[in-house]
Amino acid sequence: MSATTLSRRATEEHAVTRPPAPERVRRLRLARHGVTALVAAIVLVQVYPLVWVLLTSLRPAGEFAAGNPFAFPSELTLENYRRAWELAPLPRYVFNSLVVTVVSNALIVVLGMMAAYALTVLEFRGSKVVHGLFLIGIIVPVHVALVPLFLNYSQVNLLDTYQSMIIPLAGFSLPMSVYLFSSFFQYIPRETYEAAALDGAGPYRIFAQITAPLSANTVVTVVFVNSIFIWNDFVFANTFVLSEDLKTIPLGLQNYMGAMGSMDWTATFAAVCVTVTPLLLVFLVLNKAIIYGLESGATKG
Amino acid sequence: MLTNRSRTAVLVFLLPPLGLYLVAVVGPILHSLVLSFFEWDGLSAMTFVGLDNYRQMLFDDDIFWKATGHGLVYLAVSLFFQLVVALLLANLLTYVRRGRELVKTAYLLPAIVSTVAIALMFRRIYSLEPLGLVNAALGAVGLDGLQRPWLSDLDTVLVAVSAPEGWRFAGLYMLILYAALIAVPKELEEAARLDGASEWRIFTQIRFPYIRPVFLTTAIMAATYSLRGFDIPYLLTNGGPGHASELLTTYMYKTAFTSTNFGYASTLSVFIVLQCVVAVLLIGLVRRSGRYAS
Repeated sequence: MSATTLSRRATEEHAVTRPPAPERVRRLRLARHGVTALVAAIVLVQVYPLVWVLLTSLRPAGEFAAGNPFAFPSELTLENYRRAWELAPLPRYVFNSLVVTVVSNALIVVLGMMAAYALTVLEFRGSKVVHGLFLIGIIVPVHVALVPLFLNYSQVNLLDTYQSMIIPLAGFSLPMSVYLFSSFFQYIPRETYEAAALDGAGPYRIFAQITAPLSANTVVTVVFVNSIFIWNDFVFANTFVLSEDLKTIPLGLQNYMGAMGSMDWTATFAAVCVTVTPLLLVFLVLNKAIIYGLESGATKG
Repeated sequence: MLTNRSRTAVLVFLLPPLGLYLVAVVGPILHSLVLSFFEWDGLSAMTFVGLDNYRQMLFDDDIFWKATGHGLVYLAVSLFFQLVVALLLANLLTYVRRGRELVKTAYLLPAIVSTVAIALMFRRIYSLEPLGLVNAALGAVGLDGLQRPWLSDLDTVLVAVSAPEGWRFAGLYMLILYAALIAVPKELEEAARLDGASEWRIFTQIRFPYIRPVFLTTAIMAATYSLRGFDIPYLLTNGGPGHASELLTTYMYKTAFTSTNFGYASTLSVFIVLQCVVAVLLIGLVRRSGRYAS
């Protein structure tokens, strides 16, 4: 049925026949409470594991081993955090993750912007093909690169370096970055560029003074989406890094997992809380921009 | 097209990103393709074996087929969370008046937690001895009979390693679907509502058809990400017990780095790539057929 006829008929009918009966209003209100309760329940199930990790990290170790996992801690303690700090060099892991995340993001943003600029603003014969080549990368699983990169790295002595993680992390994030930047660049009016070109600005100046500064919002989206992937990367780090000094957070956390029998759960969960904090802070501060970016980025496509 | 651009400018902007992309992504794909025709342990000389690896994979390798089947279960479980539950929540959320931002933020939270941390959590969530969250919850509602060590029970391990993958990114897809749902023109819904249509009918007849393209794009994203799932099964069970939770990715990884059979591992990774391409093409086909039908 076509929507417009439905709508016309409905409004006419409604005007005469359906005053909102009090009973109907009550039923609606009841339904609304039901919906709210259901939403709250789904969200609670989704978030409870994280809440539980946080509570466990603050719970006395003895109480955790014996007690009911749903009970609130009898007392809150930071003792677990102290032990987490002693069991492994957490600051070292955080530092390594920061290095890898910052350098990779810098590469992804700058190179992604450059590629998008060349492909959608400058344009050239075959730019569509190159754009397509980049887009294919979005669906390529990272695992395909593990064996070849491992072999190449061992030939050029790159195994066990920061670069060994940064190259594939940046490379595999680049397609999404190119995609997001080029969809944004299409919204910058052509006249802006033409006016600048008439004033004698060349492609480099236009890039530096018009395109790049306008892209701030897209940069936030690109950085956040990629930071989740990079900060938490396990597979590249696990495959290419061996020495304790270069371990990033995910590899470091594995050290807690090592001895199965005598695992110190409360200290482990304290370590998990510490390592989640940096990303969590960024997420909460940029919450609005991130959610807006994700929503608009996805629905445009 | 900028008027005063030059060939040099194009190259200056294009070559650095293209270089990185070729080194990190395109090169390795081609390299894998080449290696998949060889037998090689990384030390002795490479032997060209033609299509032998492919023949072995398709006809002589039970684990390969087992892992492929497991991949479909893994995909179904994670799509259940990422598309079904996410769509349900996104739709319900449009009826909620206050706290929408809070719900969105809370639901997205698991996405920022690393897979290693998630694996640690879920190892404890599933455990029976000491009593983990799942078993404690079952006990609390009187379903003690269902309590079990979820990760060592052959019947449950596969679903148990799949669920965290679905849980992890459900928030991301919920957010995208929610954004699409609130963009559905309000006049259409109001009209149907005044006409006495139930909310269920409004969803199936108006909302869902309207957001169908976004839903299918979301499905492509969710499916390709799930098909490359690796970290959580690898860390939780390493494919075990036996091969009960083996996926193609964990099998490939072990073939490469435990058995150092680089040739056969490359054959498996070529198959993993093909699988993702096929998934995207299939969903793309559904999308196109829908467009002609309406």
